[in-house]
Amino acid sequence: MIPKNLFLKRSCPLIMQIAETHRKPRWLPVAKSKIYRIPKRPEVSEEERLELLRINNNYKTQMRAIRRFYHEEMINEKSSLQSASSEMSQQLEADEWEKCVQINEKWNAQVAAEREQRRKIELAAMEDYALKRIEAKDKEFKGRIARASAEIRREKELSSTFITPDNLEAAIDHALANPVDYNYAIDLRGNIVSGRDTPIVKPEKKDQAVA
Amino acid sequence: MPLPPASGTGRYFAKAAKSIRLLRHGCTNRPFFHISVTQRRRPNSLPVIEQLGSYDPMPNMDNEKLVALNLERIKYWLGHGAHVTPPVAELLGLAGFFPIHPRSYMTAWRNRATERENLAKEAEKAAEDKDA
Repeated sequence: MIPKNLFLKRSCPLIMQIAETHRKPRWLPVAKSKIYRIPKRPEVSEEERLELLRINNNYKTQMRAIRRFYHEEMINEKSSLQSASSEMSQQLEADEWEKCVQINEKWNAQVAAEREQRRKIELAAMEDYALKRIEAKDKEFKGRIARASAEIRREKELSSTFITPDNLEAAIDHALANPVDYNYAIDLRGNIVSGRDTPIVKPEKKDQAVA
Repeated sequence: MPLPPASGTGRYFAKAAKSIRLLRHGCTNRPFFHISVTQRRRPNSLPVIEQLGSYDPMPNMDNEKLVALNLERIKYWLGHGAHVTPPVAELLGLAGFFPIHPRSYMTAWRNRATERENLAKEAEKAAEDKDA
């Protein structure tokens, strides 16, 4: 069975209305809300009406003349085209073509010269840019090498105090002879009491009292 | 539905009436028109015979409404008896190709009248405010 709204909604492409697609279909009735609405007639004063009549008449007359002019021109052109296939007109056309070609070549040469000049300038600019980039890169590499050599020098200076297999025994002996205790305690006033086995003097009593 | 191509692929009968009309090619809230020749009794959804120009009714950054016209082809089609719709006739009138369309004159004088009325009203209001 065909649904009722199929034609109204125009979902079926076969029965599409050939008209402006954004309009309501012709067969739909006036909307309920608009059924007794009488549109207001535009009020045009007598004076304005006469003026409009006058300028419209003028316009129509002028337009008729313009139309006729272009129509006659079209007819003239047609007849001239028909007569243009003679030998003389062909010769004329060939001459004009030759002239056009010469002008075109002249322009092409001019443009080529301009292009060459522009290309030279562009090439120079490009070279300049590349050289600048190379210089900047070189500078950067030099800086890196300098920084690295400075680092190496510093390390070499420090290497005099390194422990090597030659002085390993001496270093062990030295370490055993001088034990260092890095442990320390810190109280609320910021006093540092170094060493793990340092005897605690005063705070001992307070702690006991609190406990 | 896709818009018809502007290149003018529309088929037509040589002796059927043609019309030079505006064809809306913009999108929602952005009108843009092609000025094209079509067969007179044909909807705008079909391909046109030829595009003769374009019209952008929205003022651009320089406060201009741009119109492009191919006057040579317009002359050709006028010579072949094409009809011109009023909006296009107005545009051509403002372009100096046709005489100024009566509707242009009418809108102009009506706009002037409303402006005069508004000015008079403002003046009255100002006078009342002064009195009060």
